[in-house]
Amino acid sequence: MKKLFQKNSETVNLNRRSFMIGTASAGLVMAFAPAFFSGSLSAKESIAQQAFSPTIWWTMNTEGGVEVSIAKAEMGQHIGTALARIVADELECDWEKVSITYVDTHEKWGYMVTGGSWSVFQSFKPLSQAGAAGRIALIEAGAKMLGVAVDTCHAEKGYIISGDKSVSYTDLVKKGEFNRTFTSEEVATLPLKPANKRHLTGLKQDFKALDIPAKTNGTAVYGIDVEVEGMLYARPVIPPTRFGSKVISVDDTAAKAIKGYKGYEILTDPSNTVEGWVVVLADNYPSAIKAVDVLKVKYKKGNAANVTESDIQKEGIRLCEQTDSGTLFVDEGNIKKTQSDAKELLESMYTTATASHYQLEPLNALAQYKDGNWIIHTGNQWQSLTLPAIAKALEVAQEKVIIRPYYLGGGFGRRLFGDWTVPAALTAKAVGKPVKLVFTRADDSLFDQSRSASVAKMTASFDKNGVFTGLEHAFAAGWPTKAMAPGFLSPGVDGKGKFDAFSASGADHWYSMNSHRARAINNELVQSTFIPGWLRSVGPGWIAWSLESFIDEVAHKQGKDPVAFRLEMLDAKGKQAGKAPESIGGAARLHNVLTKVSEKVANIKLGESEGIGFSASSGQERTMPAWIATAAHVHVNRGNGKITLKKLYIVVDAGLIVHPDGALAQLEGSALWGTSLALHESNTYQNGQVSATNFNTYLPLRMKDVPDMDIEFIQSDEFPVGLGEPGVIGIAPAIGNAVFNAVGVRLRNLPMKPDELKKGLST
Amino acid sequence: MVTFTINGKVIESHASEDTPLLWVIRDEIGLKGTKFGCGIGMCGACTVHLDGQATRSCLLPVGAIAGKKITTIEGLNNEHPLQKAWVDEQVPQCGYCQSGQIMQAATLLATNPNPSEDEIANYMNGNYCRCMAYKRIKTAIQRAADESQSVVNIFDPNAQDA
Repeated sequence: MKKLFQKNSETVNLNRRSFMIGTASAGLVMAFAPAFFSGSLSAKESIAQQAFSPTIWWTMNTEGGVEVSIAKAEMGQHIGTALARIVADELECDWEKVSITYVDTHEKWGYMVTGGSWSVFQSFKPLSQAGAAGRIALIEAGAKMLGVAVDTCHAEKGYIISGDKSVSYTDLVKKGEFNRTFTSEEVATLPLKPANKRHLTGLKQDFKALDIPAKTNGTAVYGIDVEVEGMLYARPVIPPTRFGSKVISVDDTAAKAIKGYKGYEILTDPSNTVEGWVVVLADNYPSAIKAVDVLKVKYKKGNAANVTESDIQKEGIRLCEQTDSGTLFVDEGNIKKTQSDAKELLESMYTTATASHYQLEPLNALAQYKDGNWIIHTGNQWQSLTLPAIAKALEVAQEKVIIRPYYLGGGFGRRLFGDWTVPAALTAKAVGKPVKLVFTRADDSLFDQSRSASVAKMTASFDKNGVFTGLEHAFAAGWPTKAMAPGFLSPGVDGKGKFDAFSASGADHWYSMNSHRARAINNELVQSTFIPGWLRSVGPGWIAWSLESFIDEVAHKQGKDPVAFRLEMLDAKGKQAGKAPESIGGAARLHNVLTKVSEKVANIKLGESEGIGFSASSGQERTMPAWIATAAHVHVNRGNGKITLKKLYIVVDAGLIVHPDGALAQLEGSALWGTSLALHESNTYQNGQVSATNFNTYLPLRMKDVPDMDIEFIQSDEFPVGLGEPGVIGIAPAIGNAVFNAVGVRLRNLPMKPDELKKGLST
Repeated sequence: MVTFTINGKVIESHASEDTPLLWVIRDEIGLKGTKFGCGIGMCGACTVHLDGQATRSCLLPVGAIAGKKITTIEGLNNEHPLQKAWVDEQVPQCGYCQSGQIMQAATLLATNPNPSEDEIANYMNGNYCRCMAYKRIKTAIQRAADESQSVVNIFDPNAQDA
């Protein structure tokens, strides 16, 4: 992810661009001038004449209303509110007058992706600068209008104030002349507010998300709600294998009896996104559902037609048992020597089962050819990855494809690569009409980019005194990045091979160890069976299961308290010292949250068969660590093996918190996701496809299963990091460690199943 | 053709009688607030009121509701105490399930104005929220119950016909 992150940084690196603030008919416009812009026109001329297609980050109208453009997908994280808040804080405008607009795809927005918990982290600096530039331009204009020196003025809540004189932003926009360009050098040195001057962001702020009211009255528009004139409805027929299926014949005799049935299309996809696809058309969706149910399609199945969950797990175990498989992700000290010198080794094998997204809005896309462009109406997280696939499928230039933004009825990573848009576009092209392709829940499940099952082999070394000397962590899974964005694979630390950093992050932990090796291994059986997906918390979400459970095992082996053992290793020395700004403080901050959470639970009186377990995590990655410590309080029913999660205690240090209530909502949701993946939900591959295709067999956590939660944020003025996913990571190992502390059974397979616990209790 | 009342208006549907009410509401009548989630009555996103009872519209054939009264999220007219509580407690994340959650909760408060935490969890357990905003859903129901001072006045547009 380092590479991906660098690429992303380039697109938001404003140091090589200039800012323009000029008066236009709509009021005041703040735009980035693209790097290629010659600069022969002034800011005002450029903006007024639309000399280039400006990346307008905000505009201010003559009423003082500020409209902030949002190039991120809204999928429940209230991202527009957080980003607008960052702009408004620096701009010193009145929050009551701020609104947001989600934008269509366009190359001017740079690399468009909403994922990785990156949005606030990556946008914080550029959007702060965009706001600060506006404030400076307004101060300059205000000083001129008031007839005072610029350095006597300051901006405050929509006014420029100098002594007892003031002028409102509204008047300035009405009467002032703005023609201000900030050179790239000026942009680079724009001062950002110190923490004590922030009035719209930070832990003490209490404000409401802009997208919420529409989500309480049915007016929020999701992709599935879009209609255009003359469109046909469509439902896919999901082929028996994700790869290599071929349609031999289609018999629609029975479908023809269905009112509204409009035939079917067999798709040929130049982008190879879908293989062996048939799409059924109707003038209404329920007829399309029925028609697919009675359609008889004969296929030549792909090679993975018989693959099972157990095949995948066995392959993972085989790969992890090899001593030199995979790509080196971490290689500190000399693990081979440490192991050969060791008096004793401790080995454990951990697994996680396949998990599904089940975002509640099933996949859908409406494809429409209009005025020479292909308009794709859909909720999508990674437009810059999806657009090229659609363009290739349609055999048109990428500039001819526009993805229009809608609310996402859940993203969680499933809506990153928009593979489902391709069959919608191909069908629309084939029939010459707009096509709204909607997946049923079962279609969606079968076409899911599942979180791959995983296997991890842990090997700890101990010297003659029984002291821990090194850790080898080998882990095998399907790699989403290899399947969908192979250009983003990272090279091994020894320069050999490549690996998916999203499926390795978390193994590069913040504990100081003399010897530490992490090997990322690709399970190729996964790659050839389905497209493994990024699922909320991605690699750290399953890697921490083995790491943080095994740390407890290593502590117990040495007769140490697991928390004390962690704190001892969180010494913030060497590479664990962290880097400014994003990981400043390093392991010391993880030490701090772990100390705090352990103090929180120190005096809890445990009942019979109860235990508390801990974990420490720093997702999503070392370059953007949200420092989180978790304590889980569980009860184990010794009779039936049922684990009840009574309460979660979570302490989080994520730097400056831009939107505190939104951040809390993300932590609540992600903690419950972690709980669900730990105790409730999993899928199983059978015959090359997932077997649980609806909510009658796929069983995530429901309201009755919700534990109590005590979530505390550390007051911090450090650089803000992402929070959408990191809360998931530490939950499962904290529960597993709690179960061990409660009844002495070490569970190593996720989800934790009562049967396995019962078996452990009886041996 | 099936005639029924939706949000106080009499409607004639021309869909086949076996068409699930959900699609009639969404695509024939054009009220998009009621959502499609699972199609088997297991997620609750499609919950509407059928003569005042919370009902999964994805399973209910339109032919079965002749002469009945349907209320959807739009029919609450932004006036239901739950809708205010949902904003006050900042419940929705992605928001996709929330119409169904609110419609389900409304029928709880209609019969049990001061539900206990367990009663809420039992009543709401069939409504799935993938963002897992469950804690806030529960708190918002309690808040609406508290603020409605023991009797919840539910806005019922169908009542205007009576």
